[in-house]
Amino acid sequence: MSTVLQSLSAELADAVQSAGRAVVAIHARRRIPATGVHWRPGAVVATNHTISRDENITVTLSDGITVPASLAGRDPSTDLAVLKLAGQSLPTASLRADTPPRVGELVIALGRPGPSVTASWGVMSRVDGPWRTWQGAEIDSLLRLDLAIYDGFSGGPLIDGGGRVLGINTSALARGVPVTIPVATVERVVTELLERGTIRRAYLGIGTQPVRVPKSLGRKLELTLDTALLIVSVEPGGPADRDGLLLGDVLLELDGAAVSDSADVLAKLGGDRVGRPLTARVIRGGQVKTLQVTPGERPQSQAA
Amino acid sequence: MTTPVAGGLAQELAATVDELRRMTVQVRTGGAASGAGVLWSAGGSENGGLIITNAHVVRGNQATIELSDGTAVRARVVAHDRKRDLAALEFEPYSAMVAAVVRGSPLLRVGELVIAIGHPGGLVGAATLGIIHAVESEGEGRTPRWIRADMRLAPGFSGGPLADTTGRLVGVNTMMQGGLALAVPAAAVEAWVRRAHALAAP
Repeated sequence: MSTVLQSLSAELADAVQSAGRAVVAIHARRRIPATGVHWRPGAVVATNHTISRDENITVTLSDGITVPASLAGRDPSTDLAVLKLAGQSLPTASLRADTPPRVGELVIALGRPGPSVTASWGVMSRVDGPWRTWQGAEIDSLLRLDLAIYDGFSGGPLIDGGGRVLGINTSALARGVPVTIPVATVERVVTELLERGTIRRAYLGIGTQPVRVPKSLGRKLELTLDTALLIVSVEPGGPADRDGLLLGDVLLELDGAAVSDSADVLAKLGGDRVGRPLTARVIRGGQVKTLQVTPGERPQSQAA
Repeated sequence: MTTPVAGGLAQELAATVDELRRMTVQVRTGGAASGAGVLWSAGGSENGGLIITNAHVVRGNQATIELSDGTAVRARVVAHDRKRDLAALEFEPYSAMVAAVVRGSPLLRVGELVIAIGHPGGLVGAATLGIIHAVESEGEGRTPRWIRADMRLAPGFSGGPLADTTGRLVGVNTMMQGGLALAVPAAAVEAWVRRAHALAAP
Protein backbone atom coordinates (compact mmCIF):
# COMPACT_ATOMS: atom_id res chain seq x y z
CA MET A 1 0.00 0.00 0.00
CA SER A 2 2.90 2.30 0.78
CA THR A 3 4.04 3.80 -2.51
CA VAL A 4 7.16 5.88 -3.02
CA LEU A 5 5.07 9.06 -3.14
CA GLN A 6 3.29 8.24 0.11
CA SER A 7 6.55 7.24 1.81
CA LEU A 8 8.14 10.52 0.79
CA SER A 9 5.17 12.43 2.17
CA ALA A 10 5.29 10.53 5.46
CA GLU A 11 9.07 10.96 5.75
CA LEU A 12 8.83 14.71 5.21
CA ALA A 13 6.16 14.95 7.91
CA ASP A 14 8.30 12.76 10.21
CA ALA A 15 11.31 15.01 9.61
CA VAL A 16 9.25 18.09 10.48
CA GLN A 17 7.87 16.42 13.58
CA SER A 18 11.19 15.19 14.95
CA ALA A 19 13.18 18.35 14.17
CA GLY A 20 10.26 20.52 15.27
CA ARG A 21 10.63 19.40 18.89
CA ALA A 22 13.82 21.46 19.18
CA VAL A 23 12.30 24.50 17.42
CA VAL A 24 11.01 27.24 19.72
CA ALA A 25 9.23 30.58 19.37
CA ILE A 26 11.16 33.61 20.59
CA HIS A 27 9.36 36.63 21.97
CA ALA A 28 11.86 39.46 21.93
CA ARG A 29 10.36 42.03 19.59
CA ARG A 30 7.09 43.87 19.08
CA ARG A 31 5.96 42.17 15.90
CA ILE A 32 5.25 38.49 15.52
CA PRO A 33 7.59 36.13 17.38
CA ALA A 34 10.68 34.77 15.66
CA THR A 35 12.13 31.28 15.70
CA GLY A 36 14.99 29.66 17.59
CA VAL A 37 16.61 26.24 17.84
CA HIS A 38 17.48 24.40 21.05
CA TRP A 39 21.06 23.77 19.98
CA ARG A 40 22.78 22.51 23.11
CA PRO A 41 21.22 21.64 26.47
CA GLY A 42 19.92 24.92 27.87
CA ALA A 43 21.19 27.02 24.92
CA VAL A 44 18.89 28.31 22.17
CA VAL A 45 20.24 29.81 18.94
CA ALA A 46 18.30 32.68 17.39
CA THR A 47 19.00 35.46 14.92
CA ASN A 48 20.33 38.71 16.33
CA HIS A 49 18.08 40.91 14.19
CA THR A 50 14.92 39.37 15.64
CA ILE A 51 15.94 40.11 19.23
CA SER A 52 15.22 43.77 19.75
CA ARG A 53 15.48 43.79 23.53
CA ASP A 54 18.03 42.39 26.00
CA GLU A 55 15.57 41.66 28.78
CA ASN A 56 12.06 40.31 29.24
CA ILE A 57 12.68 37.64 26.62
CA THR A 58 10.47 34.58 26.67
CA VAL A 59 10.55 31.37 24.67
CA THR A 60 7.62 29.10 23.77
CA LEU A 61 8.73 25.47 23.68
CA SER A 62 7.39 22.75 21.41
CA ASP A 63 5.05 21.53 24.17
CA GLY A 64 3.38 24.95 24.25
CA ILE A 65 4.88 26.12 27.55
CA THR A 66 6.36 29.62 27.65
CA VAL A 67 9.43 30.15 29.82
CA PRO A 68 11.78 33.08 30.50
CA ALA A 69 15.16 33.15 28.75
CA SER A 70 18.30 35.22 29.30
CA LEU A 71 20.51 36.60 26.56
CA ALA A 72 23.94 34.91 26.66
CA GLY A 73 25.34 37.07 23.86
CA ARG A 74 24.90 38.42 20.37
CA ASP A 75 27.05 38.49 17.28
CA PRO A 76 25.71 41.07 14.82
CA SER A 77 28.38 40.09 12.27
CA THR A 78 26.88 36.61 11.80
CA ASP A 79 23.35 37.69 12.86
CA LEU A 80 23.37 35.05 15.59
CA ALA A 81 22.42 35.29 19.24
CA VAL A 82 22.33 32.73 22.03
CA LEU A 83 19.69 32.54 24.76
CA LYS A 84 19.90 30.47 27.92
CA LEU A 85 17.00 28.51 29.36
CA ALA A 86 17.00 27.21 32.90
CA GLY A 87 16.10 23.63 33.77
CA GLN A 88 14.43 22.49 30.55
CA SER A 89 14.37 18.88 29.43
CA LEU A 90 13.64 19.85 25.83
CA PRO A 91 15.41 17.71 23.19
CA THR A 92 18.28 19.37 21.35
CA ALA A 93 18.52 19.56 17.56
CA SER A 94 20.19 16.70 15.72
CA LEU A 95 22.96 18.35 13.71
CA ARG A 96 24.35 17.27 10.36
CA ALA A 97 27.94 18.46 10.56
CA ASP A 98 29.68 15.67 8.66
CA THR A 99 28.21 15.96 5.14
CA PRO A 100 27.55 19.38 3.64
CA PRO A 101 24.28 19.90 1.76
CA ARG A 102 24.36 19.45 -2.01
CA VAL A 103 22.85 21.61 -4.72
CA GLY A 104 19.48 20.09 -5.60
CA GLU A 105 19.08 18.39 -2.25
CA LEU A 106 15.52 18.47 -0.87
CA VAL A 107 15.42 20.67 2.22
CA ILE A 108 12.80 22.02 4.63
CA ALA A 109 12.84 25.31 6.53
CA LEU A 110 11.03 25.30 9.86
CA GLY A 111 9.62 28.21 11.82
CA ARG A 112 7.60 28.64 14.97
CA PRO A 113 6.26 32.17 14.75
CA GLY A 114 3.47 31.16 17.13
CA PRO A 115 2.39 28.10 19.07
CA SER A 116 2.80 25.54 16.29
CA VAL A 117 5.62 24.63 13.95
CA THR A 118 5.35 25.64 10.29
CA ALA A 119 7.31 24.46 7.27
CA SER A 120 8.29 25.35 3.74
CA TRP A 121 10.16 23.13 1.36
CA GLY A 122 12.48 23.49 -1.58
CA VAL A 123 15.98 22.65 -2.73
CA MET A 124 19.50 23.90 -2.08
CA SER A 125 20.14 26.25 -4.94
CA ARG A 126 23.74 27.12 -4.19
CA VAL A 127 26.51 25.64 -2.08
CA ASP A 128 29.81 27.50 -2.15
CA GLY A 129 32.95 28.12 -0.17
CA PRO A 130 33.53 30.57 2.69
CA TRP A 131 32.19 34.11 2.43
CA ARG A 132 32.30 37.24 4.49
CA THR A 133 29.30 39.17 5.77
CA TRP A 134 29.17 42.94 5.34
CA GLN A 135 30.24 43.24 8.97
CA GLY A 136 33.30 41.15 8.31
CA ALA A 137 32.45 37.78 9.86
CA GLU A 138 33.54 34.69 8.00
CA ILE A 139 30.78 32.17 7.26
CA ASP A 140 32.15 28.70 6.53
CA SER A 141 30.07 28.11 3.44
CA LEU A 142 27.53 29.97 1.31
CA LEU A 143 24.19 28.16 1.40
CA ARG A 144 21.40 29.62 -0.73
CA LEU A 145 17.90 28.23 -0.88
CA ASP A 146 15.19 27.85 -3.46
CA LEU A 147 12.32 28.04 -1.02
CA ALA A 148 10.00 30.60 0.52
CA ILE A 149 10.99 32.06 3.87
CA TYR A 150 7.92 33.37 5.68
CA ASP A 151 7.58 36.02 8.38
CA GLY A 152 9.12 34.84 11.62
CA PHE A 153 11.25 32.13 9.97
CA SER A 154 14.60 33.80 10.74
CA GLY A 155 16.38 31.81 13.43
CA GLY A 156 14.70 28.59 12.37
CA PRO A 157 16.58 25.53 11.15
CA LEU A 158 17.09 24.28 7.64
CA ILE A 159 16.69 20.52 7.83
CA ASP A 160 17.32 17.62 5.48
CA GLY A 161 14.86 14.86 4.59
CA GLY A 162 15.94 12.98 7.70
CA GLY A 163 15.20 15.86 10.04
CA ARG A 164 18.84 16.75 10.68
CA VAL A 165 19.79 20.41 10.97
CA LEU A 166 21.97 21.89 8.19
CA GLY A 167 22.09 25.40 9.62
CA ILE A 168 20.13 28.44 10.77
CA ASN A 169 18.12 30.52 8.28
CA THR A 170 18.27 34.29 8.24
CA SER A 171 16.96 36.93 5.91
CA ALA A 172 19.16 39.70 7.32
CA LEU A 173 22.63 38.83 6.00
CA ALA A 174 22.19 39.10 2.24
CA ARG A 175 19.80 41.95 1.38
CA GLY A 176 16.66 40.07 2.31
CA VAL A 177 17.60 36.95 0.35
CA PRO A 178 17.44 34.00 2.70
CA VAL A 179 20.72 32.30 3.45
CA THR A 180 21.56 29.49 5.81
CA ILE A 181 24.38 29.85 8.32
CA PRO A 182 26.03 26.42 8.29
CA VAL A 183 26.33 24.24 11.38
CA ALA A 184 30.12 24.76 11.65
CA THR A 185 29.76 28.54 11.89
CA VAL A 186 26.89 28.31 14.36
CA GLU A 187 28.90 25.90 16.54
CA ARG A 188 31.84 28.29 16.61
CA VAL A 189 29.70 31.30 17.49
CA VAL A 190 27.67 29.41 20.12
CA THR A 191 30.83 28.20 21.87
CA GLU A 192 32.32 31.67 21.97
CA LEU A 193 29.12 33.43 23.02
CA LEU A 194 28.54 30.92 25.83
CA GLU A 195 32.15 31.31 27.03
CA ARG A 196 32.66 35.04 26.66
CA GLY A 197 29.31 36.63 25.86
CA THR A 198 30.80 38.37 22.82
CA ILE A 199 32.68 37.46 19.68
CA ARG A 200 36.28 38.59 19.92
CA ARG A 201 37.45 40.32 16.77
CA ALA A 202 40.78 41.91 16.10
CA TYR A 203 40.97 45.44 14.72
CA LEU A 204 43.56 47.95 13.58
CA GLY A 205 41.63 51.20 13.80
CA ILE A 206 42.11 52.34 10.21
CA GLY A 207 39.83 53.36 7.41
CA THR A 208 40.96 52.53 3.89
CA GLN A 209 40.14 53.33 0.31
CA PRO A 210 41.27 51.22 -2.66
CA VAL A 211 43.61 53.14 -4.96
CA ARG A 212 45.43 52.40 -8.17
CA VAL A 213 49.21 52.48 -7.80
CA PRO A 214 50.72 54.42 -10.72
CA LYS A 215 52.48 52.07 -13.17
CA SER A 216 55.78 53.92 -12.91
CA LEU A 217 55.81 53.67 -9.12
CA GLY A 218 54.75 50.03 -9.27
CA ARG A 219 57.67 49.28 -11.62
CA LYS A 220 60.12 51.20 -9.49
CA LEU A 221 59.06 49.39 -6.32
CA GLU A 222 58.68 46.03 -8.10
CA LEU A 223 55.04 45.56 -7.06
CA THR A 224 52.93 42.74 -8.44
CA LEU A 225 49.47 44.22 -7.83
CA ASP A 226 48.30 47.54 -9.20
CA THR A 227 45.64 48.15 -6.52
CA ALA A 228 46.37 48.86 -2.87
CA LEU A 229 44.66 50.52 0.09
CA LEU A 230 45.14 54.17 0.92
CA ILE A 231 44.79 54.77 4.66
CA VAL A 232 42.25 57.56 4.88
CA SER A 233 41.65 57.54 8.63
CA VAL A 234 43.58 56.44 11.69
CA GLU A 235 41.78 56.13 14.99
CA PRO A 236 43.71 58.20 17.55
CA GLY A 237 45.29 55.91 20.12
CA GLY A 238 44.12 52.82 18.21
CA PRO A 239 46.41 49.88 17.40
CA ALA A 240 47.55 51.26 14.01
CA ASP A 241 48.22 54.73 15.47
CA ARG A 242 50.20 53.24 18.36
CA ASP A 243 52.34 51.16 16.01
CA GLY A 244 53.15 54.01 13.65
CA LEU A 245 50.85 53.63 10.63
CA LEU A 246 50.19 57.09 9.20
CA LEU A 247 47.40 58.79 7.36
CA GLY A 248 48.36 58.64 3.69
CA ASP A 249 50.30 55.38 3.89
CA VAL A 250 49.34 53.00 1.08
CA LEU A 251 48.89 49.51 2.48
CA LEU A 252 50.20 46.80 0.15
CA GLU A 253 50.35 43.63 2.21
CA LEU A 254 49.45 42.20 5.60
CA ASP A 255 51.43 39.13 6.67
CA GLY A 256 52.54 38.52 3.10
CA ALA A 257 49.04 38.65 1.60
CA ALA A 258 48.24 41.45 -0.84
CA VAL A 259 45.36 43.72 0.18
CA SER A 260 43.27 45.51 -2.41
CA ASP A 261 39.93 45.62 -0.61
CA SER A 262 38.82 46.21 2.98
CA ALA A 263 37.60 42.60 3.04
CA ASP A 264 41.24 41.49 2.58
CA VAL A 265 42.11 43.40 5.75
CA LEU A 266 39.18 41.92 7.67
CA ALA A 267 40.27 38.46 6.54
CA LYS A 268 43.47 38.95 8.55
CA LEU A 269 41.62 40.08 11.66
CA GLY A 270 40.05 36.99 13.20
CA GLY A 271 39.58 36.78 16.96
CA ASP A 272 42.86 34.86 17.33
CA ARG A 273 44.89 37.82 16.00
CA VAL A 274 44.25 40.02 19.02
CA GLY A 275 47.69 40.83 20.50
CA ARG A 276 49.62 38.93 17.80
CA PRO A 277 51.69 41.26 15.55
CA LEU A 278 51.09 41.43 11.79
CA THR A 279 53.72 42.49 9.28
CA ALA A 280 52.48 45.40 7.19
CA ARG A 281 54.08 46.60 3.95
CA VAL A 282 53.22 50.15 3.00
CA ILE A 283 54.30 52.77 0.49
CA ARG A 284 55.36 55.89 2.36
CA GLY A 285 57.07 58.80 0.64
CA GLY A 286 57.63 56.79 -2.53
CA GLN A 287 59.43 54.02 -0.69
CA VAL A 288 58.27 50.60 0.50
CA LYS A 289 58.42 50.35 4.25
CA THR A 290 57.76 47.34 6.49
CA LEU A 291 56.38 47.69 10.00
CA GLN A 292 54.86 45.56 12.72
CA VAL A 293 51.29 46.29 13.79
CA THR A 294 49.62 44.55 16.72
CA PRO A 295 45.82 44.35 16.39
CA GLY A 296 43.75 45.13 19.44
CA GLU A 297 40.39 43.76 20.46
CA ARG A 298 37.62 45.53 18.63
CA PRO A 299 35.37 47.45 20.97
CA GLN A 300 31.72 46.38 20.78
CA SER A 301 29.33 48.14 18.44
CA GLN A 302 32.08 49.39 16.19
CA ALA A 303 31.60 48.47 12.58
CA ALA A 304 35.10 48.54 11.06
CA MET B 1 20.50 9.61 -14.53
CA THR B 2 17.08 8.61 -13.29
CA THR B 3 17.19 6.59 -10.13
CA PRO B 4 14.46 4.01 -9.52
CA VAL B 5 13.10 6.13 -6.65
CA ALA B 6 12.80 9.36 -8.61
CA GLY B 7 11.33 7.51 -11.59
CA GLY B 8 8.78 5.74 -9.43
CA LEU B 9 7.94 9.00 -7.73
CA ALA B 10 7.30 10.75 -11.04
CA GLN B 11 5.06 7.92 -12.29
CA GLU B 12 3.05 7.75 -9.10
CA LEU B 13 2.64 11.49 -9.02
CA ALA B 14 1.41 11.49 -12.61
CA ALA B 15 -1.08 8.70 -11.81
CA THR B 16 -2.44 10.55 -8.76
CA VAL B 17 -2.74 13.77 -10.76
CA ASP B 18 -4.68 11.91 -13.49
CA GLU B 19 -7.07 10.58 -10.89
CA LEU B 20 -7.54 14.04 -9.38
CA ARG B 21 -8.16 15.62 -12.78
CA ARG B 22 -11.20 13.38 -13.23
CA MET B 23 -12.87 14.91 -10.18
CA THR B 24 -11.92 18.48 -11.10
CA VAL B 25 -14.24 20.54 -13.29
CA GLN B 26 -14.13 23.97 -14.89
CA VAL B 27 -16.76 26.38 -13.67
CA ARG B 28 -17.97 29.08 -16.05
CA THR B 29 -20.37 31.87 -15.45
CA GLY B 30 -21.15 34.48 -18.06
CA GLY B 31 -19.16 32.70 -20.73
CA ALA B 32 -15.69 33.17 -19.25
CA ALA B 33 -13.84 30.42 -17.45
CA SER B 34 -13.75 31.63 -13.88
CA GLY B 35 -12.33 28.84 -11.81
CA ALA B 36 -12.26 25.22 -10.82
CA GLY B 37 -14.66 22.99 -8.93
CA VAL B 38 -14.66 19.67 -7.13
CA LEU B 39 -17.02 16.89 -8.15
CA TRP B 40 -18.49 16.36 -4.70
CA SER B 41 -21.10 13.74 -5.53
CA ALA B 42 -21.85 12.12 -8.87
CA GLY B 43 -25.58 11.97 -8.13
CA GLY B 44 -27.95 9.14 -8.78
CA SER B 45 -31.36 8.36 -10.14
CA GLU B 46 -33.07 10.54 -7.52
CA ASN B 47 -30.75 13.41 -6.86
CA GLY B 48 -28.51 15.49 -9.02
CA GLY B 49 -24.75 15.60 -9.02
CA LEU B 50 -23.07 18.18 -6.81
CA ILE B 51 -20.10 20.44 -7.52
CA ILE B 52 -18.38 22.43 -4.79
CA THR B 53 -16.48 25.56 -5.67
CA ASN B 54 -15.69 28.98 -4.19
CA ALA B 55 -18.47 31.52 -3.87
CA HIS B 56 -16.18 34.06 -5.57
CA VAL B 57 -15.98 31.82 -8.65
CA VAL B 58 -19.73 31.87 -9.43
CA ARG B 59 -21.82 34.93 -10.22
CA GLY B 60 -25.56 34.64 -10.56
CA ASN B 61 -27.50 31.41 -10.10
CA GLN B 62 -26.53 29.53 -13.23
CA ALA B 63 -23.19 28.15 -14.36
CA THR B 64 -21.74 25.93 -17.04
CA ILE B 65 -19.62 23.05 -15.81
CA GLU B 66 -17.05 21.47 -18.06
CA LEU B 67 -16.13 17.98 -16.95
CA SER B 68 -12.65 16.55 -17.37
CA ASP B 69 -13.71 14.66 -20.52
CA GLY B 70 -14.79 17.92 -22.14
CA THR B 71 -18.54 17.51 -21.66
CA ALA B 72 -20.27 20.76 -20.81
CA VAL B 73 -23.35 20.65 -18.59
CA ARG B 74 -25.64 23.30 -17.15
CA ALA B 75 -25.68 23.65 -13.39
CA ARG B 76 -27.84 25.51 -10.92
CA VAL B 77 -26.42 27.30 -7.88
CA VAL B 78 -28.15 25.68 -4.90
CA ALA B 79 -26.07 27.24 -2.10
CA HIS B 80 -23.87 30.33 -2.04
CA ASP B 81 -22.01 31.39 1.09
CA ARG B 82 -19.93 34.50 0.62
CA LYS B 83 -18.62 34.40 4.18
CA ARG B 84 -17.26 30.86 3.92
CA ASP B 85 -16.47 31.44 0.24
CA LEU B 86 -18.22 28.21 -0.78
CA ALA B 87 -20.87 27.51 -3.40
CA ALA B 88 -22.71 24.30 -4.34
CA LEU B 89 -23.90 23.65 -7.88
CA GLU B 90 -26.36 20.95 -8.85
CA PHE B 91 -26.45 19.31 -12.27
CA GLU B 92 -28.09 16.42 -14.10
CA PRO B 93 -26.02 13.30 -13.39
CA TYR B 94 -23.84 12.15 -16.18
CA SER B 95 -22.56 8.61 -16.57
CA ALA B 96 -19.20 7.30 -15.41
CA MET B 97 -18.19 10.09 -13.08
CA VAL B 98 -16.04 9.60 -10.02
CA ALA B 99 -16.63 11.94 -7.11
CA ALA B 100 -13.99 13.12 -4.65
CA VAL B 101 -13.27 10.99 -1.60
CA VAL B 102 -12.76 13.06 1.53
CA ARG B 103 -9.92 12.19 3.84
CA GLY B 104 -11.48 11.86 7.26
CA SER B 105 -8.40 10.59 9.07
CA PRO B 106 -5.56 10.63 9.88
CA LEU B 107 -5.12 14.31 10.72
CA LEU B 108 -2.98 16.35 8.36
CA ARG B 109 0.66 16.71 9.37
CA VAL B 110 2.98 19.66 8.74
CA GLY B 111 5.40 18.69 5.98
CA GLU B 112 3.00 16.28 4.30
CA LEU B 113 2.87 16.48 0.49
CA VAL B 114 -0.28 17.90 -1.09
CA ILE B 115 -1.38 18.32 -4.71
CA ALA B 116 -3.59 21.08 -6.12
CA ILE B 117 -5.42 20.91 -9.45
CA GLY B 118 -6.79 23.95 -11.27
CA HIS B 119 -6.95 25.84 -14.54
CA PRO B 120 -4.56 28.79 -14.31
CA GLY B 121 -4.77 31.11 -17.29
CA GLY B 122 -6.94 28.69 -19.24
CA LEU B 123 -4.49 25.83 -18.82
CA VAL B 124 -6.93 23.03 -18.06
CA GLY B 125 -6.05 20.48 -15.40
CA ALA B 126 -2.74 21.96 -14.27
CA ALA B 127 -1.18 20.43 -11.16
CA THR B 128 1.14 21.74 -8.52
CA LEU B 129 2.85 20.11 -5.57
CA GLY B 130 3.53 21.54 -2.13
CA ILE B 131 3.60 20.69 1.53
CA ILE B 132 1.33 21.46 4.45
CA HIS B 133 2.74 24.63 6.01
CA ALA B 134 0.76 24.79 9.21
CA VAL B 135 -2.02 22.99 10.97
CA GLU B 136 -3.91 25.03 13.52
CA SER B 137 -3.85 23.41 16.92
CA GLU B 138 -6.35 20.57 16.95
CA GLY B 139 -7.31 21.48 20.52
CA GLU B 140 -10.96 21.52 21.50
CA GLY B 141 -11.80 19.21 18.62
CA ARG B 142 -12.63 22.17 16.42
CA THR B 143 -12.19 22.06 12.69
CA PRO B 144 -9.47 24.57 11.74
CA ARG B 145 -10.66 27.44 9.58
CA TRP B 146 -7.96 27.09 6.93
CA ILE B 147 -5.40 24.66 5.68
CA ARG B 148 -2.20 26.53 4.83
CA ALA B 149 0.01 25.02 2.16
CA ASP B 150 3.49 26.03 1.02
CA MET B 151 2.61 26.27 -2.68
CA ARG B 152 1.90 29.06 -5.14
CA LEU B 153 -1.52 29.05 -6.77
CA ALA B 154 -2.76 31.27 -9.59
CA PRO B 155 -6.38 32.50 -9.58
CA GLY B 156 -7.56 29.65 -11.85
CA PHE B 157 -6.98 27.21 -8.97
CA SER B 158 -9.83 28.75 -6.94
CA GLY B 159 -12.52 26.21 -6.06
CA GLY B 160 -10.39 23.24 -7.10
CA PRO B 161 -9.18 20.31 -4.99
CA LEU B 162 -6.26 20.12 -2.60
CA ALA B 163 -5.52 16.43 -2.13
CA ASP B 164 -3.06 14.16 -0.36
CA THR B 165 -0.71 11.71 -2.08
CA THR B 166 -3.36 8.98 -2.09
CA GLY B 167 -5.71 11.25 -4.03
CA ARG B 168 -8.10 11.92 -1.16
CA LEU B 169 -9.55 15.40 -0.81
CA VAL B 170 -8.20 17.50 2.08
CA GLY B 171 -9.48 20.94 1.08
CA VAL B 172 -10.91 23.35 -1.48
CA ASN B 173 -8.31 25.89 -2.66
CA THR B 174 -9.57 29.38 -2.00
CA MET B 175 -6.92 32.09 -1.92
CA MET B 176 -3.31 33.13 -1.53
CA GLN B 177 -2.35 35.02 1.60
CA GLY B 178 1.16 36.02 2.63
CA GLY B 179 2.65 33.74 -0.02
CA LEU B 180 0.71 30.72 1.26
CA ALA B 181 -2.16 28.84 -0.36
CA LEU B 182 -5.27 28.74 1.82
CA ALA B 183 -7.85 25.98 1.44
CA VAL B 184 -11.16 25.38 3.21
CA PRO B 185 -10.67 22.04 5.03
CA ALA B 186 -12.62 19.16 3.50
CA ALA B 187 -14.27 18.46 6.88
CA ALA B 188 -15.55 22.05 6.98
CA VAL B 189 -16.89 21.66 3.43
CA GLU B 190 -18.66 18.46 4.45
CA ALA B 191 -20.32 20.16 7.40
CA TRP B 192 -21.26 23.12 5.19
CA VAL B 193 -22.80 20.85 2.53
CA ARG B 194 -24.87 19.07 5.18
CA ARG B 195 -26.11 22.38 6.56
CA ALA B 196 -26.80 23.82 3.12
CA HIS B 197 -28.79 20.71 2.11
CA ALA B 198 -30.79 20.79 5.31
CA LEU B 199 -31.71 24.39 4.53
CA ALA B 200 -32.56 23.59 0.93
CA ALA B 201 -34.73 20.59 1.84
CA PRO B 202 -38.50 21.27 1.89
